[in-house]
Amino acid sequence: MGVATFLTRTKGTADRARRFGIADLLAYGYLLLGVLVILMPVAWTFLSSLKGERAIDGFDTRLLPMAQVEAEVEGQGVKPVWTWTAPDGTTRDVVKAGPTRRETDVVALDDPDTVLRVPRTTLAPNERIRVATENYLDPILGRNGQDNFAFFTYLLNSVFVTVMATLITLLINAMAAFALSKYKFRGRLTFTILIIATLLIPSSIILVSLFFVVWSFGIFGSLWGVIIPAAATPTGVFLLRQYMLTIPDELLDAARMDAASEWRIFWRIVLPLSLPALSVLAILSVIWRWNDFLWPLIVLISDPAQHTLQIGLTAFSGEFDSDFHYILAMTVVSLVPITLVFVWLQRFITTGIATTGLK
Amino acid sequence: MSVVVLALAALWIGGGTLWLLARRRYHWREVPAFAMDLIGVPVDLAQRLFGRGGVPYALLLPNMLIFGIFTFAPMILNFHVSFTGGASIHLLDRPWVGAANYGAIFDCETYLSPRTCSNEGYDFWTGMFNTLAFVAVQVPVLCIVALLTALVVNRNIVGRGFWRAMFFYPVMLSPVVIANIWNWVLHRKGALNAALGGSAEGLTAMAGLAGFDMVVSVVFAVALMVTSERALRGSLAWAAVFGLLFACVFAWANPLAMIGLGGSFWVGPVLATGVVWAVAIAHRRARWAVASASVVSILLLLTVQFDAVFAFDRVRPVNWLVTPNTGWPFFWLVFVFCWSHMGFYMLILLAGLQAIPRDLYEAAKMDGTKPARAFFRITLPLVMPTLTVVLVLSLIRSFQIFDEVWLLTGGGPGRETFMIVQHIYETAFTGDRPEYGEAAAGSVLMAVVIAVFTFVQLFVTRRQSEF
Repeated sequence: MGVATFLTRTKGTADRARRFGIADLLAYGYLLLGVLVILMPVAWTFLSSLKGERAIDGFDTRLLPMAQVEAEVEGQGVKPVWTWTAPDGTTRDVVKAGPTRRETDVVALDDPDTVLRVPRTTLAPNERIRVATENYLDPILGRNGQDNFAFFTYLLNSVFVTVMATLITLLINAMAAFALSKYKFRGRLTFTILIIATLLIPSSIILVSLFFVVWSFGIFGSLWGVIIPAAATPTGVFLLRQYMLTIPDELLDAARMDAASEWRIFWRIVLPLSLPALSVLAILSVIWRWNDFLWPLIVLISDPAQHTLQIGLTAFSGEFDSDFHYILAMTVVSLVPITLVFVWLQRFITTGIATTGLK
Repeated sequence: MSVVVLALAALWIGGGTLWLLARRRYHWREVPAFAMDLIGVPVDLAQRLFGRGGVPYALLLPNMLIFGIFTFAPMILNFHVSFTGGASIHLLDRPWVGAANYGAIFDCETYLSPRTCSNEGYDFWTGMFNTLAFVAVQVPVLCIVALLTALVVNRNIVGRGFWRAMFFYPVMLSPVVIANIWNWVLHRKGALNAALGGSAEGLTAMAGLAGFDMVVSVVFAVALMVTSERALRGSLAWAAVFGLLFACVFAWANPLAMIGLGGSFWVGPVLATGVVWAVAIAHRRARWAVASASVVSILLLLTVQFDAVFAFDRVRPVNWLVTPNTGWPFFWLVFVFCWSHMGFYMLILLAGLQAIPRDLYEAAKMDGTKPARAFFRITLPLVMPTLTVVLVLSLIRSFQIFDEVWLLTGGGPGRETFMIVQHIYETAFTGDRPEYGEAAAGSVLMAVVIAVFTFVQLFVTRRQSEF
């Protein structure tokens, strides 16, 4: 066996094994590119959010959160510490005693009374790794004047919208799907076509008049104005209908023999049996509602107490364009829940959408 | 309004409780069951009143009510609003202005140049042309990248589940998070500029080494010979690598400059694509094309001064999202949109790919079919219906682009990335004097354009499904 064959062998029995060819190499190259393009920016944002304000403002592009050590010097207050390399190669920790010039006045930490005049090029910042927890804690706890990001209010609003909308969506879509899949009645085709028609109406072309409708119902500016208009989804109805068609009618007839009411049949038999489709719809609905942006922006922007996490973060980013360290930390905070959900349910989500989400 | 809602709720809960308790005894452990029964009281009522035939209507009622009020009614109301003016939000207060809103939009000297329009027309047509340009670029890019990714993760590779999840992950992120991440990466002093500057400096340093020119020439010559030899045997993947090398060498050697022409940068890729295409469809001149391309590239390689090619001046950091007249803001918009939506379409295509029966490939392998031919004759035709669905979905989706633009560039620089939905949003909901009529007229016109596109798509889909 030649060396090349040995190195490029892939697993499998002798007749089924393929050699590791150029196509595999290109595929792995593509995946590497994917890591670079997809995971790197997210990881970079996370790492940046751990850096202190000074490192963020100075656009420090090192990976780890390095911060300059500070030390208290008698009569000078707290000052950043520099490492001075003397001509003979020894190093000392110093702080600057005057403005930075080509020849800078410094004093050593262990001998604060002697002022040394050293070339600027021999000074290097004395740095160590420091995680800037204040990026997270200040806006969340409202410290240091950062009381504009009411994190817990936003989180509560977001959770309320997501949970309520998902529950309502699941219930009424399942009801409609049950009616369309298990009953024969006049107008079934009409209702089906009407629901297909809503699939073809993009939400952004009815923005203006939806605003009028929601306003005249008196739910404009409240969370219900976000929850109710999006509660009925054509996608959900069809997904559930396709699934419920596979439930045998005999089950329903048996329950009718036992004098169960139609509603009891629905929630005692049909709902538990369509749990796989319901969970796919639940996941989809959570993603939609949690990430919803344009409509909440219109409905909720005027009242900060009603902001969801996304709207609050937008307002916060717009208001403090320069406070990147807070913006990054809050971005990570709103990224974490959905990431955890994803890591937890990842296989389920991807297979669920791939198999049922489309049809 | 709220009085009616409260009264209805009281009637439902109070009356329903009495009704349920009168008919059946509930153990205190059955509180959840009682709650579900309580929700279903109207359905039960419908069954009691109209028999089983009334039940489906009662079941459909809440869904259809919401569709009716919040989708169909606004759809029709849109036309009404588009014919009214003023800033009042009371529908009855709005004065009827006829087609004035449409007139303002169509008040142009030449329709192809928004600058010659009235102010409203300028905003609308700028947004419309930008959106059309965006859709024209975005949809093919999205479909090709999604198909490519689906093909890669459908291969027998290590850690398949992880890769699929990774490509899907951005779909889960909210637009604000995506915008903040990319704002941070694309900042003038951000990670991208730092990485570009760093690699340019590294290459310049390497190019300064003695003998760099010779080493790189030899490496390229060997690589060209190996890849062209493999490409001659008809391997598409090797042909693609060869094409890439050929395009690079062609661009560096800049042969058109000898006869005083520019554009070598574009001619190289075009020729390379031609060669790859010839190999892909197993054209009878494919071997001839590869051979001649390799001879040309070896000749060109002798003229390339590699230490000049890889010596960069100091790379100036680019303000990616803000610099006007560079095309970069538009490029990054396409990129970020693709980044955040590609995973969804990839999953749909993946489902389509996995529905292709494996024995087709085995039969093809028995007949000694090359992978490229199998792709064009088996994979592509069979995945075409799914690809059409992806095409329709991505078209409707990218037509409505708003979040990414609004958060990343705000429509700027100038009006370079100003999209139609942003026009509608800003006309109606920002600014001191909201122009609801104007925005509604814009929405109606946008609906017309989307409808035209959808019908074209449906027509194409119908043609596709006949295969």
